[in-house]
Order: sequence, then structure tokens, then C-alpha cells
Amino acid sequence: MRYIPSTKEQQREMLKEIGVSSFEELLKNIPEKVKLKRKLNIPPALSELELEEKIVKIAQKNSNFYEMKPLLGAGAYRHFIPEAQKSLLQREEFWTCYTPYQPELSQGTLQSMFEFQSYISRLTKMDIVIPSIFDGASAAGEAALMSLRLTHKNKIIVSTLIHPHYRETIRTYLAPHHIEIIELPYYDGLVQYDQLEQLLDEDTAAVLIQSPNFFGGIEDLTAISELAHQKKALLIDIIVESMSMGILKSPGDLGVDIVAGSAQSFGMDLNFGGPYNAFLATKKQFVRQIPGRIAGETKDKEGKRAFVMTFRAREQDIRREKATSNMCTNHNLNVIASNIYLSLMGTEGIYQYSLLNAKMAHYLESQLLKTENFEKILNYPYFNEFLIKYKGNIEDLNQILLKSHFLPPLSVQSFYPGNHFEQTVLFAVTEIFNRDELNRIVDILS
Amino acid sequence: MKLIFEKSIPGRDAYSLPTDLFQDIKIEDYLSEKHLDKDKKQLTEVSEVDVIRHFTKLSKFNYGVDDGLYPLGSCTMKYNPRINEKMATLSQFVYAHPLSSAEMIQGSLEIMYQLNLLLCEITAMNQYTMAPASGAHGELTGNLIMRQYFIDHGEKRTKMLIPDSAHGTNPASAAMAGFEVIEIKSNENGTVDLNSLKNAMDEQTVGLMLTNPNTVGLYDEGIEDIEKIVHKKGGLLYYDGANLNASLGIIRPGDAGFDVVHLNLHKTFSTPHGGGGPGAGVIGVKDRLIPYLPTPIVDFDSNEKKYFLKDTGKKSIGMVRSFWGNFSVLVKTFTWILSLGPENLYQCSRTSIINANYILAKLKKYYKPAYDQYCGHECTLTGREYKKYGIKTLNIAKRLMDYGIHPPTIYFPHFEPYAEETIMIEPPESDSKEVLDEFINIMIKISDEAKTNPEVLLSAPHVTPIGKTDDVLAVKKPILTYDDELNSKDQ
Repeated sequence: MRYIPSTKEQQREMLKEIGVSSFEELLKNIPEKVKLKRKLNIPPALSELELEEKIVKIAQKNSNFYEMKPLLGAGAYRHFIPEAQKSLLQREEFWTCYTPYQPELSQGTLQSMFEFQSYISRLTKMDIVIPSIFDGASAAGEAALMSLRLTHKNKIIVSTLIHPHYRETIRTYLAPHHIEIIELPYYDGLVQYDQLEQLLDEDTAAVLIQSPNFFGGIEDLTAISELAHQKKALLIDIIVESMSMGILKSPGDLGVDIVAGSAQSFGMDLNFGGPYNAFLATKKQFVRQIPGRIAGETKDKEGKRAFVMTFRAREQDIRREKATSNMCTNHNLNVIASNIYLSLMGTEGIYQYSLLNAKMAHYLESQLLKTENFEKILNYPYFNEFLIKYKGNIEDLNQILLKSHFLPPLSVQSFYPGNHFEQTVLFAVTEIFNRDELNRIVDILS
Repeated sequence: MKLIFEKSIPGRDAYSLPTDLFQDIKIEDYLSEKHLDKDKKQLTEVSEVDVIRHFTKLSKFNYGVDDGLYPLGSCTMKYNPRINEKMATLSQFVYAHPLSSAEMIQGSLEIMYQLNLLLCEITAMNQYTMAPASGAHGELTGNLIMRQYFIDHGEKRTKMLIPDSAHGTNPASAAMAGFEVIEIKSNENGTVDLNSLKNAMDEQTVGLMLTNPNTVGLYDEGIEDIEKIVHKKGGLLYYDGANLNASLGIIRPGDAGFDVVHLNLHKTFSTPHGGGGPGAGVIGVKDRLIPYLPTPIVDFDSNEKKYFLKDTGKKSIGMVRSFWGNFSVLVKTFTWILSLGPENLYQCSRTSIINANYILAKLKKYYKPAYDQYCGHECTLTGREYKKYGIKTLNIAKRLMDYGIHPPTIYFPHFEPYAEETIMIEPPESDSKEVLDEFINIMIKISDEAKTNPEVLLSAPHVTPIGKTDDVLAVKKPILTYDDELNSKDQ
């Protein structure tokens, strides 16, 4: 077998050196009764050619997604990724290595974590950054648990405009901890501040808000943080569309205590939902309660700059059941992906792309409204996703768009059941579109 | 090495913008200064050439599986086949939006469905969830499933038994699931002490989390008794699949009575570790636990001949992440299993077991094994004998780097009196006899150096991009971002 280099002859030699006459002697600790006495019942080995043909055939049962630009976002955004990033990620040194436990042989990964931490710190204006939790939803769950450790309180307020998968995940993470979870209602595309004021009390550990929220709306985090802080609760800001950070005010300027952000928009393909990556960003004084890995700068014995994983005394391999989290393997390769992406985009690129996303979304909305087939139902500030009502049949809208090779927007009713959002769709627009395409979309939907 | 921030020169760029920037749209007409930042976020300004050179240089500071032996114990650093990568990056997969309608994603769903069947046969389980993103994420998911099972059966069980040889993630995951962790001591053979287990296992106990072979590399010879003890009290058996590379086609956790299994697809199933992920920690369960799996799972409608995402129902623990799983990792796993087939899967485990025992046989004279008996796919040696020369296991590990080899796992497992100053070596099937012989010779040489020239070990490594790091300084004077460094310079 091409992945198993030792020959039968070599294996015989090795068994002889070990001092056994057969391989089975090495298995004497396994009781006979539980041993498998037959071959595994799976298909026989395929040659590489047969294999490739088989899997390509399966792949072709998917739509040709490359040629279908998505008007669908809802937590997974198709952005343009420069080839330089994809090419650099091919370097085996980045993807065939392990977690950087041995800093002398892992400076590439460690420095990359540190640089990504620095980028995210500047984008969020938060002091410290945990570069990798699996995805935005699990990061939100970890952030909620972190707020419990920091406050020792037992109530969490969760905006109903947090991505439904994220809300479910937060619930799952909190389920064993006897926490009261209260849903904060929304009105006109944003959370209801007056309701929040009533729900908040001294027992509240944290308020979790997504901004831009699931409908794309930009929440008033300053006002929310003032309310939360009056009751000594923490404000956790969930960012699902990180591209928004290019033009929007930073959470650090708005009184946010912990940011849980999906980094998918920073250089990750859609990949049918994963792997993505997420970061947590927070204040320096919370460093001993953060979950996961963090890189720090130090010196080697000659005084040379070096990077290591640090504040390790929180982690599972040292603290076991008293660890701040069970995080071990994370999504470090995606950290490198984002680091390269952000380096390529730079100060101006991120600003311009972010601005373009917002402009194009507003352009599309205004053009759609001109057709009279659409109706504005929310008056809210949004970034690159907006909710709109289609006056016709949603199934027709989907078919029209699919026929022209556009992936249709999300039908909101699938996540927010009830009559309120009948015929309502959530459009996402990113820089991958151009004016001609947006005009064509408007045209076919007229 | 310089940071990308230190290479930034105002006016440089590496991005390309579309020609039409929608100048006719004024964003200020839609968003106010309350929302918009008045300044651009200061990142970096570098050219594409700068980026390519910066990251190429960074990559050279890493050591990967393609560079040579990477014998980290319980990590299974095997070769990552190139065809896996190609299959995972087929455009129909890469650009698939997870919320597309079922008829558009039949290919992706078929991969998930078929992979479930393969993994079920390999491990004798009934159904997998593909959601968990890592081993530890799988452990949390598995613990929550067990928790939900007992809640549903009206039982209040609050304790989880975990051997002292277990990975740190086991107790940490059980704690996250709200359980009190009870440590079970290992016996003189390095395996679960049956009396301790019997005494600890009661009707308030959820069950036992077990790695088999365990982290000392030993198959638990008492597995049948363990199963009886746990099940007799109504408990559940959890299998940590970190060491499944010793078991393919030899012993299946489901046959041994395990109720919940997690598999690290990035270990046994050849998908890359990526410098710490992404991997996948899929969870398999027996029939009675299927209702509690995270939602959704992939099912097949035989009338419509169509795959679909099925809600697992009201008893489900809910979701543990957004969307469905680390899909590209699943494609790589599927590809690998099909390229090996049943014979080669068995050969994988057979070869890795021979490799580990070969190293054990050759090195036990020099590095006293934690337990002197045949091992599974990894062996645990110790550096205890070198204390008298002032040498610790850490020094041995660092010296290995000078010879161009990544050190094995060190100081884990740790439990007295057997497993101290441990060196846990896992030589996967993809490393040939010549590679192992070279490693063995180097280890013997280091043993000699430790006695005759300990200084060369104490000052190691000598040839790596950086020398030994000051980990205390990193905590005492934390520099966690580039701005921290700038501030510390100012002071």
C-alpha cells in the first residue's frame, strides 16, 4: 500500500527483533471474545484513479456552486479570496504539523497566531484575542461560559436576533449549568432596548447581542452596554459577518466586554459549513478566565524574539477538570488563512471591501424597491444583509433566480416561523457581485 | 523574525479592487456617524510579494509530517495523502452554501451519509453525528448525550469516572457537561484498576470514559470486566478514539460494549492536523442513544431517492456548532477509507503496532519503559534514569531537534509511580523501518551524550530557528499583540 512503506520482509525482521514469532502475540492483552474475527465489511481498496472518478461523480451531484453567486448569507458568506493566500496555504509546513507544543519547531504557526491576534485586536479595539475557537457558535457558547466564571451569576440574556444556530449552541453549552436563559425580543429589526432594561437585574451575568444581527441590523451597542453595566452584567457582542468591521465602529469603542467573532469572511471558503474559525476578543484583566490557546511574545535564551503558547495554566492538559475549557485541537490552520488574508487586504483593502459590501447591499435594496414587487418592512441600519418582503410567491422567486444561476436569498420563515415573516427573504450581498449582475437580478425579479 | 506589522510601508498594497466602486452610492445616506468609524482600522500596508515572502519564511520555521518522523504519542502524525486534499477542494464542495436546498447538495449529503455507514462498520456503532469539530468537542457532545439520556430516563447521575491515564480533555469535557470527575487509579499493569472501578461505580455515576489502548499504549486486558461493572450499575461506556489507530480491523469499540465513541478524524483517518486543527471529532452511538444526538443528521429517503438533513427530534441535545460539520475533513476521511479498503485498514494498525513494539524493544535498555510489556501503537518510555546526570526528559526532547526529528510527547501521561518523566512515542504506519532505525540510533546516541556530555543536552536545541524559550517571561510580562510590544518599548 502506497502509504505504508515497510515491506512484509521488514515487518518480519521487526517482529523477530521484538522477540515474538507472530504479530498476534503482541495482541495478547485483548480478550479473544472482543477481537474482530472477520474482515471489515467495507468496499475493497480503490486505485487513485478509480477513487478520483468516484468522488468527482459524487461531487457532481451537487449544483455547480462555483457558477452560482449566492444572495444567501445567514452566517456563511462568499467573499473573494486572493490566490496568493490559497497558494501560501498549500505549504505543507503549515498544514501537516501539530499544535505548536514545541516552540522551537513551530515559530511559523505561533507567530502567525500572534499576528492574527494583533490584527483582530486592532479591528475590534480589544486588548487580547484568543485566535481560535471552532466557529462563531461555539465561540459564543464559550463566551457565555466565560461570563459565568467572571461574574458568578446565573442569568444570561440572549438576543432573539442572534443567528438561530448560535442561539441553539449557546443553549447546549449552558444546559448543564443551571442557568436561566432569557430571550430578548426584537422590534423593527433590532433588539428592544426598553425590554432589555426590564429584563436586566443584579443576577444577570451577561447580555449576548449579535451585531450586525441575523437580519443584518446594526445594534446600538453603546446604549446596550450602558444598560448592562448599570447592573454589572457583561456585554458579549457576536460578530458573524466580520467584514462589517472594516467600516463599522469597533466593539471596543462601544463598551463591549467580550467579542465572539466568526472569522469565516476573512479568507475561508463556504465549504458546506465548515471548517470555519472564530476568535474571542476581550479585556486584559480577564486573561486568566479565557478558554483556548493564546500566543505570546517572549525571548529565547539568547534574547532573540520568540513566540510561545502562554497563560497555559488555564488549559485542560494542565488543569484537567478545573480548566477554563476543554479546548485542545482548534482551527489553527484557519488562523493562518485569516492572517494571510488580512495581510493581503491591509488597512485600505479591508476598508474598501467592507464599504463596497455595504454600498452594494443598499444599492440592490433600493433597486428592488423600485420594482414594486418588493416591500420594505424594516426601517433599520444594516450592513450587507437586509430583510425584504417579496409580493409574489417565494417559490417563484427562487426558481427565477436559480434559472439565472443565482443562489436565492434565505426564506426567513424557515428560522422565524409564524405569519410575521411570510414571503420575507434575507438578501446578502458581497463584493463578489458587480453592477451588471445586481441589475440583472433586479431585472429578472421585476 | 520581523512581524508583518514591521514590514508595513505606507502606500503599499496587496489587494485589488473592482473597477466599479459604486461611487454613486453615499454610505452616509444610510448609516450615520453613530455606526461608521471615522478612521480606517490600522492593519498593515504591504505588497503581495512581501506577503508571499513573509509567510514562506514563516512556514520554514515549522516542522511538518512531510519533513520527517513526527512521533508525538496519542497524536497519530501519519502521512496526509495528497488525493484527499484534492477531493476536498473540488469546486462543487468548496463553494457549496450550507443552507442550500436539499436537491442542490445531494453530493455533499451523500458523502456524509456514506461516511456514517463506513465509520459504523469500522467501530460497530449504529449512528454518527458529524458535527463535532475536534476530539474535545466530540467529548463534550458525547457527555451531553449521556447527560440527556439519564435526564430522559428520570435518573439523576452526576459523576463521571476517568482513569488517571486519560487525556486532560476527558476530565475537562466531563466538567463542562456538569459532571463531577472521579479519578480512577491505574494498576501496576498500567490499566484500569478493577477494584477501584468497582468501588467508584454506583447508580449516581454516569459511566466511564476510556481510551483503549490507553495513553501508556496498553490495551486494557480487563475490558470485559470493565464493561460488566459499568453496565451492571446502569452506566454508559465512553470510548475516546484518540488511539483508534491501534484497532482498525482488530477490535471494534462497539463490540467491546462501548455506548458512545468519538473518533479523531485528524488522527487515525489521515486528515492533516493543520498546526492544531481543523480536525473533526465525530461521535458514534448505539441505537438507544440516537435520539439524543445533536441535530441534524443526514438520512436517505428511499422513495424519493434523496438524501436530506433530518432533525433528530425533541430529545436531541441541540446543536453544538453552526451548520453541519467540518465538511472538508469528512471528504478527506471518506477518500482515505476508500483508498485503503478493509485489508489496508488492518495493515495500518498492524504496522503501527509493530513499529511501536520495535521501538520499545530497541530502546527499553536505554529508556526504562513505564510498563515493560508489549504495547499497542505507541510506547511510553521514561527519562528517569538520566536524572542522576542532571538531565530531564525535556532536555532529551530538545536534543532530538538538533538531529532533525520532532520530539515525542513528553511528560504525558503522568501518574506516579510508573509514569514519570515520560516519553510517549507513536510511530505511525507511514514511517518505514529505516526511519525508525534512524530514530532509534539517535535516541541511543542521546542516551550516551546524556552520560558523557550532559551540557550538550542542557543547552539544546542548537540548530532550530530559535533556542529554548523563556515561558515564565511570557506570563510575567505578557505581550499578546503587536501593540503590547509597542507599548512595552515605549515604557
